[in-house]
Amino acid sequence: MSSVATVLTRSRKSQTGMSLLRPSVLLAFGALLVSVSWALAPGLFTSYDPIANVGPSLQAPSAEHLFGTDSTGRDVLSRVIHGARETLTGALMAVAVGFLVGTAMGVLSGSSHRSVDEVLMRIVDVLLAIPSLLLSLSVIILLGYGTVNVAIAVGITSIAAFARLARSQVVQVSRSDFVEAAYGSGGSFGTVLWRHILPNSLTPVLALAALQFGSAILQISTLGFLGYGAPPPTPEWGLMIAESRDFVATAWWLTTLPGLVLVITVLATNRLSYAIQARRNA
Amino acid sequence: MSLRREFVLSQYRPVSAVMAYVPLPLGRCGRTAIAPCLPANIVDAGRIVIWGTPSQRKGCRPASQSFDEPVLVILLNIITQAANAHVQTAVSMPVLHITSQSFRVETVNQYVHPMSPSHLRPGHPRRDSSHHFRLGATALAASLALAACGGGDVGAEGDPETGGTLTYLEHQPYDTLYPPAAGFYPNGAVINNIADRLLWQDPETLELHPWIATELPEVNEDATEFTFTIREGVTYSDGTELTAENVVKNFDLYGRGDSERTLSVSEAINNYDHGEVIDENTVRFHFDEPAPGFAQATSTINSGLLSDETLDHTQEDFGPGNATTIIGSGPFVVAEEELGTEYTLEAREDYDWAPEEHHHQGPALIDAVNVIVTPEDSVRIGSLVSGQADVARQIEAQDEEQLEESEAEIEAYGTKSVNNGFNFRIGHPILEDLETRQAIIHAVDREAVLESLFTDSYPLATSPLASDALGYSDQSEHYEYDPDRAIELLEEAGWEEGPDGIRERDGERLHLTVNEAHPQPRSAELVTVVAQQLREVGIELELLSGDRAQQNEEAQDPELVQIFHSMVGRADYDVIKSQYHSENRNVLLNGYEDEVTDPELESLLEDIASLPDEADRVVASEQAQEYLAENAYVLPFFEEPQVYGVQPHVLGFETESVARPSFYAVSLDD
Amino acid sequence: MWSYVLRRLGQALLVLFVAFTATFFLLHYLPGDSVIARYGSPQLGLSSAEVAEIRASIGADQPVWTQFWLALTGFLTGDLGFSTQTGASVSSMLAAALPATAALTLTSFLLAVVLAFTIAFTSTFSPFAWLRRVTRALPPLFISIPVFWLAIVLIQVFSFQLGLVPVIGASDLQALILPSLAISVPIAAPLAQILVSSIDEVRSQPFVSVVRAKGASNNWLLWRNVLGNALLPALTIAGLLFGELIAGAVVTETIFGRSGIGRMTEQAVANRDMPVLQAIVVLSAATFVLINLIVDLLYPVLDPRLRKKVRA
Repeated sequence: MSSVATVLTRSRKSQTGMSLLRPSVLLAFGALLVSVSWALAPGLFTSYDPIANVGPSLQAPSAEHLFGTDSTGRDVLSRVIHGARETLTGALMAVAVGFLVGTAMGVLSGSSHRSVDEVLMRIVDVLLAIPSLLLSLSVIILLGYGTVNVAIAVGITSIAAFARLARSQVVQVSRSDFVEAAYGSGGSFGTVLWRHILPNSLTPVLALAALQFGSAILQISTLGFLGYGAPPPTPEWGLMIAESRDFVATAWWLTTLPGLVLVITVLATNRLSYAIQARRNA
Repeated sequence: MSLRREFVLSQYRPVSAVMAYVPLPLGRCGRTAIAPCLPANIVDAGRIVIWGTPSQRKGCRPASQSFDEPVLVILLNIITQAANAHVQTAVSMPVLHITSQSFRVETVNQYVHPMSPSHLRPGHPRRDSSHHFRLGATALAASLALAACGGGDVGAEGDPETGGTLTYLEHQPYDTLYPPAAGFYPNGAVINNIADRLLWQDPETLELHPWIATELPEVNEDATEFTFTIREGVTYSDGTELTAENVVKNFDLYGRGDSERTLSVSEAINNYDHGEVIDENTVRFHFDEPAPGFAQATSTINSGLLSDETLDHTQEDFGPGNATTIIGSGPFVVAEEELGTEYTLEAREDYDWAPEEHHHQGPALIDAVNVIVTPEDSVRIGSLVSGQADVARQIEAQDEEQLEESEAEIEAYGTKSVNNGFNFRIGHPILEDLETRQAIIHAVDREAVLESLFTDSYPLATSPLASDALGYSDQSEHYEYDPDRAIELLEEAGWEEGPDGIRERDGERLHLTVNEAHPQPRSAELVTVVAQQLREVGIELELLSGDRAQQNEEAQDPELVQIFHSMVGRADYDVIKSQYHSENRNVLLNGYEDEVTDPELESLLEDIASLPDEADRVVASEQAQEYLAENAYVLPFFEEPQVYGVQPHVLGFETESVARPSFYAVSLDD
Repeated sequence: MWSYVLRRLGQALLVLFVAFTATFFLLHYLPGDSVIARYGSPQLGLSSAEVAEIRASIGADQPVWTQFWLALTGFLTGDLGFSTQTGASVSSMLAAALPATAALTLTSFLLAVVLAFTIAFTSTFSPFAWLRRVTRALPPLFISIPVFWLAIVLIQVFSFQLGLVPVIGASDLQALILPSLAISVPIAAPLAQILVSSIDEVRSQPFVSVVRAKGASNNWLLWRNVLGNALLPALTIAGLLFGELIAGAVVTETIFGRSGIGRMTEQAVANRDMPVLQAIVVLSAATFVLINLIVDLLYPVLDPRLRKKVRA
């Protein structure tokens, strides 16, 4: 989702008038709160074991199993609740990798000598030039399967977007009058960077991180679809949708309900991302 | 006769579908004739299809295009009676659906598996049960003729419909067309239809019949010399003649391989020395040691005959993308190929050398077959259900219900071979001791596994071999579900419960890894369910993750994979050797790094493949099965079928002996 | 101006070279090798000595630097090598697969542009407030749906349930409809957002009320200002979206059983078919670099301010 970086830098002015207290933002907060509490304490929300057979297989949603049961008789709701931890930590790690490495590269690039800038930006170009899916597949095969490695693989593909956005922000802020003033009043490079440039550059980067969070969930699920996701029986949302796609015509709840939870969560993070962006511009 | 007839239903699982031919007497109604025999296709627990197809077996006259209900009723009764009288099981009664050339009977609760009544009465295998149908059928012959006449317009229109293109959906692209290495099922759709063989194995009776050889081979006493007479006038699709020299060239390659071109020896051919051209039409094959399985081996797709030029191909030339250069003498040729997604088989108009025993002769009835690779299960099934395709292979168990509700029929064909199951790596420190292996077996509730994941097309395994395989012997006593016994055995073996419920011994966790058998149905889900069951007794079972390339590599290392999930298909006694012998597939890794863990098993398996007398081979095969079961080397789950979805307008779809598709007798009824 | 063009060209070539090198070594050190993937299956019954021989025959036993040098010189002279999986020449495989994928990705992109415009216009100029609100919510929804899931649902609904478009035996044009729709949805989202924000931006400018007061129509406003404003970011995105088009092609070609680069990529990864993967990376990197080069060179043409800066 490198493209979203550009959207963010360009669409700042359009989002005026939004506030963190709008109902849609509150709803988004609520949705995220629910999935985060699922991730923190799944036991509070369901008593079913997510990886054990708890009833007949392929039962449609009922009072007993709100989301029905899957092809091996596991409770789908329980898998969604327990899966929140896998999914959210996976996406969080992916974003962390992209955010930390990408932002570091971008800040360094934007605030250093031109030769450093040139080298770093060419690395970013290379990262963008290699198809991201191929890159993450290769990284997974190289590192081995598992939630952490999949997250790293997805994170690597977002480094370029973070680096570009961070660099453009730093360059922009560096040129502004108050930074000149800070240098003029005797600030060293380090203190100016830390005190003035970074705080003023990071809001769009944070907004990108929120957007990237949703996109990471999707990317992880696509990898699951291609057979390179977390190993079963891990209850991971993307993998659940990917695994049960063969039942689209016969057991709609298997893909639709976890899919709905995933879409709502991604939507919520996207909504928050815009809200962060809007607040900054307001 | 009443439509409502209840019969005693068997308490055993019904099994996969097989064609049962119900011979009827020739009855005349005006100018038309009723076919002397009609095939009944027993599809699954829900339905029976009786085909009034054009020109069935040899000697059959074309059947009528449409049938009246009375005829149908009688046909059904013949089947039920036959079943009731001779196999002690029966169908309960039907609602009729008649389409133009076939009738479908729905809501039949149970059905008979004519090939393997042993399922119905464990411990009493009967091999040739199609015979029983014949007996039952003749008993009612007269009334059928009467009813048919009373029906009035029951009549045949003459020749079957010809022409048209069949759309066939395959699950994966083929990987090689070098016949000895072409066991992978997607390869079968090509080779089985473009290459002829010396002999033809009847898929129902498993008997061998002449094909390109005009007679069954003459075999010397110790089965080290096989002499075949080659049919005259057979040509390859490039126009060259199929000669005795060419046949020898084929088997010299398949029997000895060519390491320079990295072309392997066929696993169906043992102890091959050389071939010899005796005269223009006679060839003799010589063997170092007895090779009793050779006659059958010549009938498998692994011995598909190819032209001289094709035999000079390298390993790469046989690979994907080169299908149009593979020249056989079969009823079809590969006309076009789009790498990895699609290819077209075109019928040869001059084809005139089908096996004499086959019910169809002359060129194939359809013009072409369009084979399309659709890896997504939901797309393959959906295309079939919505009528965009005619036949699809690999209908997964979970999709059968969806097909049942549609027009298309489910046809499951047994592979009559080594069952789908877990093979324990007997050299691994954890699986070395018998108690642990037995404990694993007793801790698995196979019926529950099948219940939750599979359908009636997947019969419960009762031995390492399928019950309709040659040499089968029932070993079900070794595979009983008994979790208490499992726990006892584990304690005996020294496995104590650890803090998280998983057992430990001397600090070692009872942790085992099993591969995902990518070509096998629902392998990952099966492992998931079995892992749930094993956790109950304190065994941790992990599914090896990784794609095909990685699994292929890691499965050969007992440190990474301790249990190997697989099956193998070939309708001969030798198949059990193919799976377990250290020089073949070696699924037990008996003989990893030149150290044979169990030489006794090796010699038992070698006996099967080298004893010249058939009766001795049966005994050897039974011994090997018993040995594998007693020593808890394998845990078989089910008799793996090939499940096809077939549209009702597709007539005459058949498979060879281990369920690879044959398009030769297919016709399309518009 | 020319020095700028030359500098950009040099950068592009450098990026290509580094992408080639990085991919070569990344692929080289992946576990599981192509020879085993192709020949290791037990049913082929090859001994380990025979497998080693095959490895030698395709040069897979040579030191990595030699292999790298051979691959690099091969690519420079237009020899892309042979696929380890099929034995076919990689260039012929690419030539066979490219047209289908090019058609798919181009259609998807065009469809995405159409979708984006529809969304942007409806969400700004629709007379119904509810419609404006709904269409504004679409882009975030669009990027929240997994493509593979969307593709499967589209097939189920439009092909299998409604029977509108066949998946099997479809004509070339029919076969493009559903897969390009599936790919275009997530790509339309960022484009629509850019358009929406450009429209908002233009409308909030003081001059707008002036021209409106003078009687200008909405159309006039849009063509003159919105498009001019949106074109640059849209072009940038078009360059960046290329990776997503490829990913979309991998997924949809697998689901729809289409042949093409995406399907080839998926199979090549599964079989560790290095020569094919290497060629695919170089091909897509080259396309990516080229698109971005064109976009960069177009910038000054489209934006006079940048033109001046470049000249300076």
